[in-house]
Amino acid sequence: MKKLIGVLALVLFATTLGFGQAKVVAEEWQIPFLNCLTGPIAAIGEFLEWGAEYAAQEINASGGIAGVPVKVIPVDTALDPQKGSVEMARIVKDGLVAMGPVPEPVIMAAMPIAVEAGMMSMTATTSLEYAQKFFPWTVSFLPPTEERLATIVAAWGKEFPDMKKVVQFIEPYGPWPGMADGHVKGLQGIGISVLPPVEVPTDAVTFGPLVVKALEEKPDGIILVCNAEKAAKIIKELKSRGWKKMNHILVFSSADDPQLYATGGTDLNGVQVYNYINLDISNPRWNAFKAAFAKDHKGMAPFSLSPNYYDALYMIKEAIEKTGVTGDPSKLAEERKKIADYCANVKNFHGLLFNWDMKDGIPTNKPNFIFQIQDGKKKLVEEVR
Amino acid sequence: MQVFVAQLINGLSLGSIYVLLVTGFNLLLLVAMIIHFSYPQVVVFSMYIIWVVLQLTGNNLFLGIAAGVVSSICLNLLSAPLFQKVMRKRGEVDINSTMVLSLGIGMIITDVLSHTFNKGLPVAFPDQLASVTPLLRVGLISVQVGQVWSLGVGFVAVSAIFLILYRTRPGRAFRAIAEDPNGARLVGIPILRTGLASYALSGVLGGVTAVLLAMVLGSASPGLGEQVAHKVLAVSIIAGLGNLAGGLVVGLALGVLEAIVQGYISGTWSNAIAFVILLIVILARPRGLFGSKL
Amino acid sequence: MPLPLYYYLSITAVNILMSWALYLPYRVAHLHFLTVANMAISGYTAGYLVMSLHVPFGWALVVGFALGGLIGWAVSIFIGDAPTFAVVIVGFTFIFITRAVIQNLPAVGGPMGMFGLPNIGGSAASHRWIILGILYALVILVGWLIHRFDNSRLGRAASAVFVDADLAASLGINRKRLGMLLQTASCTIAGGTGVLYGFIYKSFHLDFFTFALVGFFMIVIFVGGYATQWGAAVAAPILYGVPLFFPPEIQSWRIVIYGALLILVLVLKPEGFITPRFVRSIETFLSGDRKKRNITLKEVV
Repeated sequence: MKKLIGVLALVLFATTLGFGQAKVVAEEWQIPFLNCLTGPIAAIGEFLEWGAEYAAQEINASGGIAGVPVKVIPVDTALDPQKGSVEMARIVKDGLVAMGPVPEPVIMAAMPIAVEAGMMSMTATTSLEYAQKFFPWTVSFLPPTEERLATIVAAWGKEFPDMKKVVQFIEPYGPWPGMADGHVKGLQGIGISVLPPVEVPTDAVTFGPLVVKALEEKPDGIILVCNAEKAAKIIKELKSRGWKKMNHILVFSSADDPQLYATGGTDLNGVQVYNYINLDISNPRWNAFKAAFAKDHKGMAPFSLSPNYYDALYMIKEAIEKTGVTGDPSKLAEERKKIADYCANVKNFHGLLFNWDMKDGIPTNKPNFIFQIQDGKKKLVEEVR
Repeated sequence: MQVFVAQLINGLSLGSIYVLLVTGFNLLLLVAMIIHFSYPQVVVFSMYIIWVVLQLTGNNLFLGIAAGVVSSICLNLLSAPLFQKVMRKRGEVDINSTMVLSLGIGMIITDVLSHTFNKGLPVAFPDQLASVTPLLRVGLISVQVGQVWSLGVGFVAVSAIFLILYRTRPGRAFRAIAEDPNGARLVGIPILRTGLASYALSGVLGGVTAVLLAMVLGSASPGLGEQVAHKVLAVSIIAGLGNLAGGLVVGLALGVLEAIVQGYISGTWSNAIAFVILLIVILARPRGLFGSKL
Repeated sequence: MPLPLYYYLSITAVNILMSWALYLPYRVAHLHFLTVANMAISGYTAGYLVMSLHVPFGWALVVGFALGGLIGWAVSIFIGDAPTFAVVIVGFTFIFITRAVIQNLPAVGGPMGMFGLPNIGGSAASHRWIILGILYALVILVGWLIHRFDNSRLGRAASAVFVDADLAASLGINRKRLGMLLQTASCTIAGGTGVLYGFIYKSFHLDFFTFALVGFFMIVIFVGGYATQWGAAVAAPILYGVPLFFPPEIQSWRIVIYGALLILVLVLKPEGFITPRFVRSIETFLSGDRKKRNITLKEVV
């Protein structure tokens, strides 16, 4: 009997060994991050980079990924597709996984290279419309546009029963016109009529003509679908023309970045903005992140996209550990696929701010929030699911 | 009618920005024979200097404005020898060399601004300089302090520069050394001193323009100069190179045209429509609507 | 072939071709920025033909060249002998118009851009070889044509116009026809190159064709040398490739370095690094004549 138990125990132990982590070959996990560290959005690129580096420090402090340290390799694409494509071509040679690129023109130029090489590159700050063109070799951190935005904007509209007519300022860049269509759906769904949109030229310097055009229609509410700096200037112009109901102005999520606050200052007080990240929640990881960010950025609070590449690196960590990736160059193709497959359908991923699932590369249960701006800070108005 | 008047005022406000920039641009043409394509970037740089000094001095307007003017003068004086060196023939506008040189200067300024000031984020000017409270508001019609100043100073600047250049001895000396340095030397005009003075005058105008832009726009970003540079060049060419009065008229007209197109037709087509009209004008009158003064 | 090398070589070829497209009109002192608009127009047109109408790539490329040439010729009727300023404004105008049209055209993807251009030749590898082959065949063909032009009477006429347009006219040079020829040729090159540019990335986006690109090509010509085609041919690979090897701290100042380099060259060596004299010396050195003329390598350099 004792011998039988001993044999059984031995068999069980041997079986367990077979399911354990195969020996990791890599001495260091090098994760390139194609980012825009110079040029017009360098400041935002730096915040994203900071998030990724901070995650790497945390991960290494707690033992690394499968016991091996991780290093984020910053790769500056300078918003130049010519540079982005060559850098991605270098990375796919023996890279296991990458992060970025940022922003859309570089994604267009560089992601086809990653797709062809069968390597995942996490575009964690672009819309689903861009990301899904490159599935399954990236995932989207942003949920589907139309249904999500319709719900959010409807929630905003319901806050103000006096709001009957809304006008949108739309800049023709990337997915923004599509997002504006999502807003229309939401507003019309609750019986608010949508006035003809005001198109914002990409190189507009003053906004008086556009604001007058909008106000001529006597709207009750305004949605801004343009870049952050322009959004802030339009708000200032609206204020100067007597617009009083600041909370009847809604800024879309892509304009919720440091440029909005740097340009708008206290003129933004009362304006509402929607986003899917609530920076005011409290959890130990996020509190530590905020404190460290403030320390390195002269007291500034993180902006809404700051956690994205932090989460992206943690998702990569989870993928490597849960799928038994070893970093063995001879298994590169196979391990790249493992990471991509895992991330595309990760369940209950513990993000910095909330947990979420991915289904075929699309996040399924991310919350959305509406905030009101006061003195450069956002106060939660409501969570929209 | 109210809407039309409001758009007209918007157009004049936008046009006044072009007038200020084109006047400085034309001044450099007249006194130095250079096409400073990146003159708007120099002005934006001065705007940033104003912002820095305001931040450091607790919004001391006098010091901020002085710093803007001084920085513009310094930049102009620093770039003067470079322009003088690249010009193939003195006495003639060498568009190719000077425009390309100014392109290089503009690239450096824009990139330095996006690297070093406020982490590349836009900078907003304080209410003391750029208040959103209008001077006058009637319905949709709104007139801001900055708009009045920029339009007024635009007119004054054009008149003053015209008077200086065409009615005063120093002004005639500026033009003389630009058009014929050897001849100017022969008649006893001190070339170096006069040349430096001409660049300094242009720097003063650049600094004043920076202050007025800060008042009108309320903020500045590294790419602001590039956004307007093409239009400034276009206005100058359409009006007639070096034609100060023409620059005033065409600058205001372009501003009004853009405002009307944005207000009544479409925002995204405003640039295209404006440039098509400019194109038709330049093809019909290659020396500009009002004739070149060079 | 290593992938980074493919992208480097293909983008370098594009930069050479586009710099030559700017070089040609500059032979008569025209800064012809219409070429960048041509890249976008022909590129998007070819992309639409291939993606939506399933036109074979070869025909789409031909259409790209033809469209570029047609636009260049039509515009040159008006500005063939116009002052440089007018030519500059035309270029800006077309860039603005092109952007506005593309932004408002859902058929070509609008502001989102055009995704997923197919592989030519069926596989990714064959696509790369075909694109590279076409690009360098074009470089050789266009380079040869420009060489022939530069060493012909037309080329000498262009040089005369560059030095003194009025004197050239008084000598019987038809400035308008010469300008039209050069502008049409330049836009034809740009049109085809635009098609190939998009097919390198297998996508099109408006931000592939910006004023920054114009600035880069200007730097290539003026730093390399605007008086000879070899300037662009040498400067393009260097100005694009060398910064790729800079450490990240220096790469972040790439634009400042380009600007400073441009200024330095304009001030110290206005004709650029590769001048006609330098080219003639090289040619003489490489030919048997160097012994007869006792020319040494030191003299060439």
